[in-house]
Amino acid sequence: MGLLNILKKLRSNPEKELRLLLLGLDNAGKTTLLKQLASEDVNQVTPTAGFNIKSVLSNGFKLNVWDIGGQRKIRPYWRNYFENTDILIYVVDCSDHQRLEETSHELAELLEDEKLRGVPMLVYANKQDLATALPSSEIATHLGLHLIRDRTWQIQACVATDGTGVKEGMEWVCKNIPTKK
Amino acid sequence: MIVFNIWSVLQWYLRPFIKWFLRKTTRLCELQRICYGDRVGSERTRNVEKSLMMSRTRDVKEVVSYLDGTVLQRRFIRCHFREILDPSVAIILRVKKINPKLHVSFIVSFRRCLEQIWSYRSLIDEVEELRRTQFDSNNDEHEQMLLNLWSLLVPDSPLEGRVSKQWQHIGFQGDDPKTDFRGMGLLGLENLLFFATNYLQVSRHVLSHSLHPTYGYTYAIVGINITSMAYYLLKDGSAKTYMFNAKQSLPNINLFHKFYCYLFYEFDKMWIESKPQNIMEFSMIFKKFENAVRMELADPASVFRINIEVDNI
Repeated sequence: MGLLNILKKLRSNPEKELRLLLLGLDNAGKTTLLKQLASEDVNQVTPTAGFNIKSVLSNGFKLNVWDIGGQRKIRPYWRNYFENTDILIYVVDCSDHQRLEETSHELAELLEDEKLRGVPMLVYANKQDLATALPSSEIATHLGLHLIRDRTWQIQACVATDGTGVKEGMEWVCKNIPTKK
Repeated sequence: MIVFNIWSVLQWYLRPFIKWFLRKTTRLCELQRICYGDRVGSERTRNVEKSLMMSRTRDVKEVVSYLDGTVLQRRFIRCHFREILDPSVAIILRVKKINPKLHVSFIVSFRRCLEQIWSYRSLIDEVEELRRTQFDSNNDEHEQMLLNLWSLLVPDSPLEGRVSKQWQHIGFQGDDPKTDFRGMGLLGLENLLFFATNYLQVSRHVLSHSLHPTYGYTYAIVGINITSMAYYLLKDGSAKTYMFNAKQSLPNINLFHKFYCYLFYEFDKMWIESKPQNIMEFSMIFKKFENAVRMELADPASVFRINIEVDNI
């Protein structure tokens, strides 16, 4: 297929391009997930200053994934990236027990934001390979996911470094794409 | 792409004829033509390396794999140079029918090239090992390095505890820097520490920029991203320009640290000059910076130095 055809195809299916927003505390594994989605080497990840963006083709969709740095100093800028988000992906480091409260708090704030209202959310319960990791069901309870009424959501256990569970999460994403007006 | 492929196939077949023709007309082999004709430093050493790697002579191939073997065994260090390089050079002289009495300066310059080429390869291994070593809180040596970094950069206010919010002052993400090294491992910490130890004034100056109310950035995190950049430039060979043009030193870990310091200093300069609105412009400016560095490294004559004089005023 020539370049022109590809361009035409993209043009005729504008609804097939999606904006995914990856958020979570620092060291949750957002950049590793992003690299895993793009099938890149995940061994040389560095902390994100600012943000990373990658376009990934998956199940016939062009996913523009925005990975925003998770450190406290950057969190005030998260809001600047909310607009037009199709799916929110929230990443949790399940072995970081000390900051479970912090991550629930950040998530609660996100979910209250007007710009993200009704946006479907996937929670990746990451680092399941570590002995100290809490199971995804417990993470869901901590985050209070069962109380969410205004959006569809899903929690997916995963290991971003080797890709376990990542695909299953993305399949859910592709099935739950909101129909655009 | 296709044109390029045809050209490389053609080159593969034509190279021996061109070499034979030049050999007959100049009465010098390719290695001699490089060592006599090319400018000392990156240009000459890169071309010698290329010539050796492309050689189809069995003896030359054996010398190359023997030298690679010494790197693998961690034996390619200065105290073994004599026993490693003397026979290697002798084989090349014999194969290429070079009279050592007539071509003394060739031997000196060729030997230097070999030292540079295989020191660079040793360095890649050494850097790779440091990168793979994870920062370990149970290792006293690692912990001490971290504490040294603090006391060098912020001598006036001692740390209140090993886990403390204060770390964010020098640009770590949270209360404990240990999770920030990630894929760069100990290499990231050693880089930061070398910068603070050997260019104390410059690193404090850069740190003060990072604390600017609008143009501020996270010093340590940006530093670790610069480690990653230096690492990739080393691995893909771009850093050869820097390493081979260094006159006083062969490629070694200190030279790598110095390369890092240069990059950090230059990045800071570009960042401040760009007047970014906030840290979210980092990836854009960092990419721009990388392109500028790659452009500079592509010129074999580039020499890199930190302009400290300007700074001390």
